[in-house]
Amino acid sequence: MIAGGLTIRADKLGKWYGNVLGLSDVSLEIGPGITGLLGPNGAGKSTLMKLITGQLRPSIGTVTIDGRNVWNHPEMFRRIGFCPEQDAFYEDTTGREFLTGLLGLSGYPDAEVRERAARALDFVELTDDQDRLIRGYSRGMRQRLKIAQAVAHEPDLLILDEPLNGLDPLSKRKIIQLVKDYRTEGRTVLVSSHVLPEIEALTKSIVLVHHGKILAQGDIHYIRDLIDAHPHIVAVKTADARGLAGRVVGEADVLSVRFDEKEGLVFFETRNRDKFFGRLTRLAADQGLDIEEITSPDDNLQSVFDYLVGK
Amino acid sequence: MSVQPYLQVFRFSARLVRRSKRTKVFAAVSLLPVLIAAVLQITRLASPGRGLDGLEVFSNVVMGFSLQFLVLLLSLFYGTSITADEVENKTLTYLTTRPVPKAAIILGKYTAAIVLLVILLLTSTVVSFFILNIDRLEYGPAWTFLGKSLAALTLGTICYTAFFTLIGTFLKKSVLVGLFFCFGWENIVQYFPGSTQRFTILHYLKSLLPGMGGGIGPGTGKGNEVLSFLMFRLEPTPAATAVITLLVLTAVFAGLACWIFARKEYLFDE
Amino acid sequence: MAIAERGYTHWPGTLDPARRPWRTIARQGIRLAWRRKFFKFVLSFSLLPALVFTAGVYISERLGDFKNMLKGADRFLQINPDYFKAYYASSGVPFMMLVIMVLAGAGLIADDLRHNALPLYFSRPLRKRDYAGGKFATLAFFLLALTLVPGLLFILLKIIFSGSLKLLTDFPWLPFSVVGWSVVVSSFFSLYTLFLSSLSRSRRYASILMLAVYFLSDVFFAIFMGIFHEPAFLLLSIQMNLRQLAAAFMGAKPQFDVPWFYSVLVLAAGAGLAIFVLHKKIRGAEVIR
Repeated sequence: MIAGGLTIRADKLGKWYGNVLGLSDVSLEIGPGITGLLGPNGAGKSTLMKLITGQLRPSIGTVTIDGRNVWNHPEMFRRIGFCPEQDAFYEDTTGREFLTGLLGLSGYPDAEVRERAARALDFVELTDDQDRLIRGYSRGMRQRLKIAQAVAHEPDLLILDEPLNGLDPLSKRKIIQLVKDYRTEGRTVLVSSHVLPEIEALTKSIVLVHHGKILAQGDIHYIRDLIDAHPHIVAVKTADARGLAGRVVGEADVLSVRFDEKEGLVFFETRNRDKFFGRLTRLAADQGLDIEEITSPDDNLQSVFDYLVGK
Repeated sequence: MSVQPYLQVFRFSARLVRRSKRTKVFAAVSLLPVLIAAVLQITRLASPGRGLDGLEVFSNVVMGFSLQFLVLLLSLFYGTSITADEVENKTLTYLTTRPVPKAAIILGKYTAAIVLLVILLLTSTVVSFFILNIDRLEYGPAWTFLGKSLAALTLGTICYTAFFTLIGTFLKKSVLVGLFFCFGWENIVQYFPGSTQRFTILHYLKSLLPGMGGGIGPGTGKGNEVLSFLMFRLEPTPAATAVITLLVLTAVFAGLACWIFARKEYLFDE
Repeated sequence: MAIAERGYTHWPGTLDPARRPWRTIARQGIRLAWRRKFFKFVLSFSLLPALVFTAGVYISERLGDFKNMLKGADRFLQINPDYFKAYYASSGVPFMMLVIMVLAGAGLIADDLRHNALPLYFSRPLRKRDYAGGKFATLAFFLLALTLVPGLLFILLKIIFSGSLKLLTDFPWLPFSVVGWSVVVSSFFSLYTLFLSSLSRSRRYASILMLAVYFLSDVFFAIFMGIFHEPAFLLLSIQMNLRQLAAAFMGAKPQFDVPWFYSVLVLAAGAGLAIFVLHKKIRGAEVIR
């Protein structure tokens, strides 16, 4: 283990909210580097992160960071930074005041608080807006400020709960780059998301969570291969559904064709979605096919999960 | 045990509380005794010989209003806010993911609240005193009474705020329960005869105040019987016992609040 | 290649001119309030005064049977306008109304402000008055349950128990007074609640404001009345103004010799202020300066 990195270890971890299961029988180990926590909404990602950061107490099992339980051990937060999912701030403070206030709680002297706050604001590109009230910040600025408060004290373990939620593509790119830049010197970063491409942009190492359980842990290429192996459905709305079907049905990657004459749709099941789309656009351009709409009903993480759980 | 974390939380909370718009509203509310004092003093000056003694008015009206209404209201709001605001606004996570003990979070915020409240209440009380007694500032016992009144208000603030901090840590409907406590329990049971009245905080606060409603100063006696409602049915506890009781209650309430806060999981409404 | 836009499409129909969106908002508000466990208990508890007075109506027809228990108290059981004034003006009912207002009303607008729901409301074909009307109706529903329903029930039960229409022949305006008073007090308190709820994003802060303003007005009255012995100070107190008005509505003697129309002016001014502030606060877009 590289000096500076922290290791998260969960052993048969479970959490119930009354009769509602949050997490069940979670055992994993997360070491230095960036790890993505991937799962649909309600899978248990936030619950797991809150258990790791001591916001919640396990109903069963244990979760430790470098062998120590976080619950009621606040001194561990000198080395842990947490960016929560909720969009919540002290709205009547400026970005700088928010950061310096929280840094002050870490026990730094005033001069160091100011210096660290300035560095963190610079890191997230909020220096120009640091003296504006948070109430007036855009969604992207608020998200970056949340990250700033998590990294300002340069923790060895950074936990980010859905940091890319609700952001425009430009802001997402900025934050992805910020997280990658942070991964130096053997630090541990745990990032959660329900969008596969976002996690793909950050890391190769992922943990899949579904219905409170760990479904898989490992390299992202494994998941990608599963997606590619898993046949995809492409729905095309066109006036000449049968004509289009006739032109593509002979291709090896097309597994089946189905018509919905009422809606004017034709559904293609294909093993190679990218190749299929390329073919479709060529047909539309070269042969003047009148295509009204193209959708991919199962192009989402849920269908991958369904496939993994054998539905 | 280091006090640094407590001081840090105190500084952080004091800044937030000072800035808050609601503090401006409650600061205005805390000036109501000054308004009452001003109106009454103008009336006294306009109709001399009406029988209103400035000190009696201060002791019964201003102190009565402050002790039986203002302290309760302000302590209720700020005490319950300590936990409830952080949970409602979902900002609690920022505090509980800092290297500060959970007890420091409660005590630091509590201290910031009582410092603000004590400043507000004592300022308005002192100003009211001056307005009503501007013509009798050389009268010694009046200053003694002012000192004891300020002590009662201070002890009332810290004790009530500690109590409301406690109920705020574990009750969702802390405001409603607090209101029943203030305007139900405290305002009714304080008038019960015998030992029962000792089950109210207000009893001990009133026990600190020397004879009000005509017991001090050269009053004309007129209106004394109307203004002595604060001492109505009071069977006072000795002052030293009252102070110790209030301090012990404060410590118990604050200690319980810290203990509950350290053990409770707070779930945000999604 | 023609590409059809897959976005929001214009609905080709026409809006029903007789639509009443406020009813939807009111139904939703009532349903949400009713769902809270604590609220059901409090509402039941707040009907206790009504229960007591209903028993009084029954006992008034059976005074002989209860003679030993009453022993001189039977003069309080004359079912006449004073009886109704006692119910409406006694400290129990306004306090219960206050508790219901806090539980069901404090968050009506405050919660919408907190969750930025106003843009969602006004992205529909909804006017300010529909929104305010719906919220108003939510509260008025519960407040009328404490005022109108018991009042009419007393009249009905008196007629049934006495077996005659004497109450109505003696006081023919009584049912109209009950309806009128219930509407006035419920409307005032609903506007009062909505006004204070609109001042904050915190339901808790709105609750405290509601109770603080109500009790403060009483405290001011008590202070100035105690010192100056001038009944006109009752105009400072919300509760006392309502009591004066209740007496006027019931044709009973008011507690203080202050013309009732002064109370009307004070309450009307309060209602006007509430409407003005609501008009300013209820808007579809938040302006951040």
